[in-house]
Amino acid sequence: MNTKVERLENNVVKIEVTVPADKFKEALKKSYEKNASRFNVPGFRKGKAPMAIVERYYGEGVFYEDAINFIVEETYPKVVEENDIHPVDYPELDIIQIGKNVDFIYTAKVIVKPEVKLGQYKGLEATKISYMVTDEDVEAELNMLKEKNARIIVKEDGTIEKGDIAVIDFEGFIDGKPFEGGKAENYELVIGSLTFIPGFEDQLVGAKKGDTVDVNVTFPEDYHVESLKGKPALFKVTIKEIKTKEYPVVDDEFAKDVSEFETLEELKADIRKKLQEANEKRAKMELEDQLVGKVVNASEVDIPEVMINQEIDYMIKDMDYRLRYQGLNINQYLEMMGITMEDLRRDFKEVATNRVKTSLVLEAIAKAEGITATEEEIEKRAEEIAKRYGVKDIERMKKAIIESQRALIAEEIVNNKVIDLIVNESKIIIG
Amino acid sequence: MKLTNYDIIIRPIITEKTMNQMALRQYTFLVHPDANKSMIKRAVEEIFGVKVESVKTMNYQGKRKRVGLSFGKKPDYKKAIVKLTEDSKAIEFFEGFGA
Repeated sequence: MNTKVERLENNVVKIEVTVPADKFKEALKKSYEKNASRFNVPGFRKGKAPMAIVERYYGEGVFYEDAINFIVEETYPKVVEENDIHPVDYPELDIIQIGKNVDFIYTAKVIVKPEVKLGQYKGLEATKISYMVTDEDVEAELNMLKEKNARIIVKEDGTIEKGDIAVIDFEGFIDGKPFEGGKAENYELVIGSLTFIPGFEDQLVGAKKGDTVDVNVTFPEDYHVESLKGKPALFKVTIKEIKTKEYPVVDDEFAKDVSEFETLEELKADIRKKLQEANEKRAKMELEDQLVGKVVNASEVDIPEVMINQEIDYMIKDMDYRLRYQGLNINQYLEMMGITMEDLRRDFKEVATNRVKTSLVLEAIAKAEGITATEEEIEKRAEEIAKRYGVKDIERMKKAIIESQRALIAEEIVNNKVIDLIVNESKIIIG
Repeated sequence: MKLTNYDIIIRPIITEKTMNQMALRQYTFLVHPDANKSMIKRAVEEIFGVKVESVKTMNYQGKRKRVGLSFGKKPDYKKAIVKLTEDSKAIEFFEGFGA
């Protein structure tokens, strides 16, 4: 096997491969074996005609297609590996010479990963913002816990207060006439939630169960229904039921109920610690993004269109996948947003370009610095992922993960290492 | 009219069966119905440059065919299985000979 590799512009590489004649004959034979059952020659049962007869009867060309496939499948990956070519797309094949007793020559044109002109990636400057956890943050977290543990109870007597839920029937009139959409029954309105137009909920405060209240409001100027804008309206509201939320008292008892801690102080300390960690993570992420962004900006890459398109495809697939969780799919989403697939692709293009560039730059740095993922690191990471699945046989899961996602895991590890390198080599100003 | 070698040997019969017989140095031909064994032997020897050990022949009646109301008959034909001597070279079909 002879190969000639030629680098054309725009990241295209042209490979010319010469396969010796006997090798091609072998491929023809394989091709015959694969297709023998398809050929029907008089005098022979299906699949029993010898190769020479089939060739005679159907012409030499019948075996070419598969033979070419066999040869290319066998030689192309080898050539790619031997010459350190990193294709990003399927190759475009051209047959130069083919025949039974001549060498088989083909060329493959393929777009490869572009060369990255790395910018400065060491000794950069970046500010790390430290986020402090305030007492208010802790308090807000506690309140959320309180809200989550609140119970809804029906108020038999008493009046509507802010925060209560009123079950109401209402009908709205403009100039004494009912209007469309102004009527409902058994509506559960949270007073103070500002679900309704301003003033409506306030006027219900103080009413009792069974009361009928006239609510006078004016529709705001920016109301979404054109005909109602700025119109004064009268709502006749009947209160059918009042519900209120009963909040638990925040004390040691509460702490015991909602967490594994004994006292409120411990719970608070834990909340603080968790918030601190989250903030720390956020600050680190922001710092990394900042630095990586700088490196990427400083580097130059001529990104082939296919790579961007592949990334866009991936993003759309991912989006579709996420939409399916909500019972939608990508086409419905497009319809809802009133945009076409082309619009969406255009919107994604910038992000996709950036992503591709970032990964190329990180890869280039890894190469320049000789960063690789070791076998132990891959195993460790696979084990972490395996544990997340919550299966019993972690060892087997781990093996399965390594087998199927090895490259992905290795890439992740290398990327993390590269980012660490960039961060460690940078001057970081604590802001 | 005298039959030439190429009138005697019309074409080889190539089927699974005859292909298998070739391994036993037996070659099957469609031959002229009027040709006899010695004529076939000479013809094969001259055309392919081989040595013939024996010739077996068989006559076939052409099939009766009906198209609508009219009857017809396919031509009768003669088949010959030619066995080459052990020291003879093999016959290579597909070289100028129609299959």
